[in-house]
Amino acid sequence: MDSSNDDALDIIVSNVVATFRTRCHLNLRTIALEGTNVIYKPEVGKVLMKLRKPKITASIWSSGKIICTGATSEDEAKQGARRLARCLQKLGFKVRFSAFKVVNVLAVCSMPFAIHLIDFTKNNRPIASYEPELHPAATYRIKNLKATIQVFSTGSITVTGPNVQNVATAVEQVYPLLFECQKPLCE
Amino acid sequence: MSSRVCKTCGGSDIDVDQARGSAVCTGCGSVLEDNIIVSEVQFVEGSGGVSSAVGQFVSADGPVKAPLLGSGFHTSVGKESRAQTLQSGKRQIQQLGSQLQLNQHCLDTAFNFFKMVVSKHLTRGRKTEHVIAACLYLVCRTEGTPHMLLDLSDLLQVNVYILGKTFLLLARELCINAPAIDPCLYIPRFAHMLEFGAKTHEVSMTALRLVQRMKRDWMHTGRRPSGLCGAALLVAARMHKFRRTVKDVISVVKVCQTTLRKRLTEFEDTPTSQLTIDEFMRVDLEQECDPPSFTASQHKAKMQQLEQELSRKLDDVEGEISCYKDEIESELEKSRPKLRGIYAAYAKELDPEDSEVLSVASEPEDPDVEENELQAAAQHLTQEFLGQVIQEEEGLGSKTDVGKEEEAGAVKEGSVHQRQVASLDIILGKLPTAASLQQTFIESESSDKPDDEQSESGELDLDGIDDQEIEKYILNEREVQVKTDLWMKQNAEYLQEQKEKEERIKKEKEQGTYKEKPKKSKKKKKELVEASSAGEAIERMLEKKKISSKINYDVLRDLNSRGTGSGGGSSPNRPPSAGPPDARKKLNRRRRRKTSDANRDLAANASLMGKRVRLLISSTPKKKKAANQATDQEENLVTMATDTTTETPPEATPDPKPQTGPTPTAPPAAGEEEEEEEEEEGEGEGEEECVSALQLVGDYGCEEEEVF
Repeated sequence: MDSSNDDALDIIVSNVVATFRTRCHLNLRTIALEGTNVIYKPEVGKVLMKLRKPKITASIWSSGKIICTGATSEDEAKQGARRLARCLQKLGFKVRFSAFKVVNVLAVCSMPFAIHLIDFTKNNRPIASYEPELHPAATYRIKNLKATIQVFSTGSITVTGPNVQNVATAVEQVYPLLFECQKPLCE
Repeated sequence: MSSRVCKTCGGSDIDVDQARGSAVCTGCGSVLEDNIIVSEVQFVEGSGGVSSAVGQFVSADGPVKAPLLGSGFHTSVGKESRAQTLQSGKRQIQQLGSQLQLNQHCLDTAFNFFKMVVSKHLTRGRKTEHVIAACLYLVCRTEGTPHMLLDLSDLLQVNVYILGKTFLLLARELCINAPAIDPCLYIPRFAHMLEFGAKTHEVSMTALRLVQRMKRDWMHTGRRPSGLCGAALLVAARMHKFRRTVKDVISVVKVCQTTLRKRLTEFEDTPTSQLTIDEFMRVDLEQECDPPSFTASQHKAKMQQLEQELSRKLDDVEGEISCYKDEIESELEKSRPKLRGIYAAYAKELDPEDSEVLSVASEPEDPDVEENELQAAAQHLTQEFLGQVIQEEEGLGSKTDVGKEEEAGAVKEGSVHQRQVASLDIILGKLPTAASLQQTFIESESSDKPDDEQSESGELDLDGIDDQEIEKYILNEREVQVKTDLWMKQNAEYLQEQKEKEERIKKEKEQGTYKEKPKKSKKKKKELVEASSAGEAIERMLEKKKISSKINYDVLRDLNSRGTGSGGGSSPNRPPSAGPPDARKKLNRRRRRKTSDANRDLAANASLMGKRVRLLISSTPKKKKAANQATDQEENLVTMATDTTTETPPEATPDPKPQTGPTPTAPPAAGEEEEEEEEEEGEGEGEEECVSALQLVGDYGCEEEEVF
């Protein structure tokens, strides 16, 4: 199957979180009453709005700051955000789309081999940490990329980072380390 | 006893006599030191002729262990904060450690960790309890004692994950690499708690072997070690003919029943479980296993593959039966027009969107649900397949069942025989399933309509947004009404609370007891300056507030002096309704209240000070006359006396003071008492000046009212 060729590994981006601003004050009650697919939470002070097409959930605050989660790619996130802004515009607010930024990207990847977590942790002592009492995965944090990789013993890993590029780089970086501590399959 | 240089002659030859405690220069004979303090060890003879050294041991932590003379355990106030922290930390470590039965060496190590933590300022923002627990757990890990984080959290009644977080952070910051937990460490402890009597050791050994076997079989990665131990001990106990139920074990090991059962099942799946007891004790199988979750996922992958193969085979079969289907289809289409109407619309749309749907939704959105259905379908298929092959001509009956199940399981998935099967199924099929299908179809239909634009495939113009679709997100008027009613009903309580709050605030505003803002300004008032005259007071206040370095204090003072000239002239003109000193006092009291009010306002709106000063400068003469009138009014008010509340003094009750003896009971401001006193004293010195200054400040007061 895959030797050490990273391109053959499928990195599936499962979640992209982005924020942007509308630069105007939003009346949450209006949005709540006139929009479909909205949940109003007055105690917290925000409105949750769910879009169907890029499947996105947005938290909207009255200050005009909006967080979009649930997209599967950066482009989709941007599109969803723009759609949302357009929707708010139609509701009557003077919305301007500004300061769009992708904040977090979550991706999963599956290695074709199982991984010996204890060896992996020993080899990468300060960077990796493994606490079986607390969490079944070993956590590997790459500082310069600001990415966190959680390694499970089955060989699947989840990577979180500030953008998709970083995530890909992180996987590339960590692959050889995982390859060393792999567990040969017997069945 | 450093060899110093003599001051008189510069000679360095100094004779130090210990007996006399003096240092003398041998050159000139001058005495340099008279009572030398010696730091040598002295010995004292105790009872029985034993000589012992004089002195106390002082520990490095500070004067902790020297509680002389019954001062006892007090953490004295005089100590510095760091020492106090360390001391209390030490105490807590001792407490907690003794509950865990840790030896002194461990406790000392823990205390060292704690000192490191404190020096790195990691205790800030964290409860000392948590930090101490983390230090202790660090020691446990490095020493390899059989203590779990769970034990610590039990003792402290804190969530174990919170402790874990702190522990991980400390380990990272202190660069302490705690060795990984070995479940073997816990076995003796749990075995002891399970009370096997004389055979405890044997059972432990067996359990250890089991755990080692589990490790090789990859059951221990990513799992809590206590779960494994529990399973191993249970099996070991049974092997040695002890009756320990699952409940006993879980009460000792602190995992839940499900976990234990799962571990046992996993162990059952390994080949080792097939060995007999004797064989197990003697033989070690070389073969290793994959981790259980890995095998589970492989199992899933296999199921999926199987499903795909079967569907492919079905396609082959279908080709043979299609002719029969067409006939039946046409027949039944005539008999059920209703359904067809809806499905016709869908069926028409389905064609162009076939490929879309295939490409877009290759991975169904709910893999779990669909997988289960797929599995069920696969099972069903395998059963039906044989029958189908045999009964080709009658295959329609089973085929439709199969097709329907597939359809139900995968609405959006693309299978080749979609359209035909769809219409066939629905028309042929049982109504309930058709109804459920209907709903899903309608949904997909409505969402498919906007799909026409296909913006998902990357239309990224500036206006790459389908307005039509967006309009769907906005309800029309009637819907808005309905929703409003619903929402109001739902959140009636919250709205009620909001209303009450607003009403309360309104009331307070009317009454003038609106507390929210004055709370802050009250505190500010107390910082008001003590000054001998109002002008000075203003100056000082300005300085303090640091409003502006650009205010020309000279001009301010000039105002004062100018005011004096005009004020002094007008003062004797005032009706002598009150006797000179007392009346003045009363007057000044009133004015002072006004002053205080004015000052209060000033304090509150410090930034406007500059403006007001300028305004005042420009319009002082007019204001003076107004002030005069105001002061006249004030005097009248004073004579009427008692508690007329001219303005809104919400202040505290008056403190009777000797100076204010003859004054009315008007409550002076609590914070301004000092100021009043001061001003009164100042007043005695230079009445004219004070009066004019007061006038000035009275101007301020008037100005305030006007502005506000």
